[in-house]
Amino acid sequence: MAAVTEAPLRILVVEDEVLIALELECLLEDLGHVSVGVAGCAADAIALGRTARPDVALVDIHLVDGPTGVEVARALSGDPRVTVVFMTANAKRIPPDFAGALGVIAKPYSERAVAGVLDYVAQRRAGRTPSVATLDGFQPAPDAGGGPWTGGSWKREAP
Amino acid sequence: MTGFPKGASLPSGVTVDVFAAAFEASPTPMVVTDPRRGDNPVVWANAAFLTLTGYDREELYGHNCRRLQGPLTDAGVLQTMRAALRAGRPFEGELLNYRKDGTPFWNGMTINPVRDAAGEVVFFFSAQADMTDKHRLELAMRDANDALEREVNERTADLRSALEQKTALLHEVDHRVKNNLQVISSLMLLKARRTPEGEARDALQAMADRIGALSTAHRMLYSEGDVSRFDFQEFTTDLIADLAAGLDEDRIRIETETEALALSAAMAAPLALLIHELATNALRHAFPGERRGRVSIEARRCEAGMRLVIQDDGVGMASAPPDPAGFGRTLVEMVVRQLRGSLEWADAGPGTRIVITIPLTGADAP
Repeated sequence: MAAVTEAPLRILVVEDEVLIALELECLLEDLGHVSVGVAGCAADAIALGRTARPDVALVDIHLVDGPTGVEVARALSGDPRVTVVFMTANAKRIPPDFAGALGVIAKPYSERAVAGVLDYVAQRRAGRTPSVATLDGFQPAPDAGGGPWTGGSWKREAP
Repeated sequence: MTGFPKGASLPSGVTVDVFAAAFEASPTPMVVTDPRRGDNPVVWANAAFLTLTGYDREELYGHNCRRLQGPLTDAGVLQTMRAALRAGRPFEGELLNYRKDGTPFWNGMTINPVRDAAGEVVFFFSAQADMTDKHRLELAMRDANDALEREVNERTADLRSALEQKTALLHEVDHRVKNNLQVISSLMLLKARRTPEGEARDALQAMADRIGALSTAHRMLYSEGDVSRFDFQEFTTDLIADLAAGLDEDRIRIETETEALALSAAMAAPLALLIHELATNALRHAFPGERRGRVSIEARRCEAGMRLVIQDDGVGMASAPPDPAGFGRTLVEMVVRQLRGSLEWADAGPGTRIVITIPLTGADAP
């Protein structure tokens, strides 16, 4: 597992499947980060985003109240201090501008994928420009150097 | 009258009366007008013309042919016709004209100027035809074409919507499968975390890892348009990267060397389990203590199909502690059987070498 070289990240988990959310929190803890809470619907997610002051929000697209993860991402990323990363098996729903998110982790994810992306986020937040080339199962947003979004395509760029 | 230019000479006995009788009896409607008299009136019409139009001779002679025109007669065609006649040129066209009883009919006509020896136009001769049936046919044809086109459009729309529904359904199912895999994996890992260190915990962790391998297989499927195949090379790289993540790279390396292969989607899950199991087994048992080494995974096409070689330079089978349950080995043998392949364990001196041959049909890898 990638070593956390930066300060621990404060992470908000936006996920309606309690088992996934619970396990993800354990994983985040294992990776040396801090979970600031779990939200299963859009309203809770946006409220927690304001009160819990997360550094990162991991956002599923499908929540209790429907495919509202996109609007959650848009609301949370309105605060420049929050880095939003989608985490979904439903990447087709992501709009071309990624609703302000940095990228998307494909479900089902591996622990390594989550670790790699959080390390990448931590480095970016520290002002460095880490490479995304080695991150499997992660697609950066076009703004973050991911190339034009074709809606759920995980094809790697030719070297 | 100044006389007419001579064409082919008439055989003896064929007089003007003969022509008059022949024209009168012709089934082709014919009419002659005289442009030298005011308003170019009809001066002669044959019986067929009278039948076509429904008028008597007295009602036509001395009148211009516009008597036949009506509200739907095309003004544009009339203009073309008049311009041709004024210039003494022939005209050929179709007009919607009206019979005496008011019923319209499509009147096809050729009009030719008849010149005297001096070249002056002295008459117009017109042969006509009732084109109503032809028009009706054309109209019917156009209607049939339109109907056909409408039907094709409707069917295309139906097919398109059916395809959209199918695609949406596929995405929905794909999404659910992936989400469920995630839930299953999370469930296992949660239980593993809460189980004291030992055999049970290891078994749970091993199961979670196997589900992880299946998840990688699923992540690769449906991701690039073609739902029936997956990129074996990329798939293996992803699978191995998950295993390599936990390794002390200075001590043990894991390497892959695979050919580019687009394999049938049905093979993804068994191959994921197979490679995961063998590679995990090698990493776990081949390098006890601080032993260094490498595990390599090679896949190439061969005559029979695909040859998969998983090799390590570790302690070898004889030295490895026997697996009491033997579950991993059983799993590998079952999967190989499912893929209709063959399996061979050999001592690589040092280490172990496992060669798996999997037959590929045209459907598995084009």
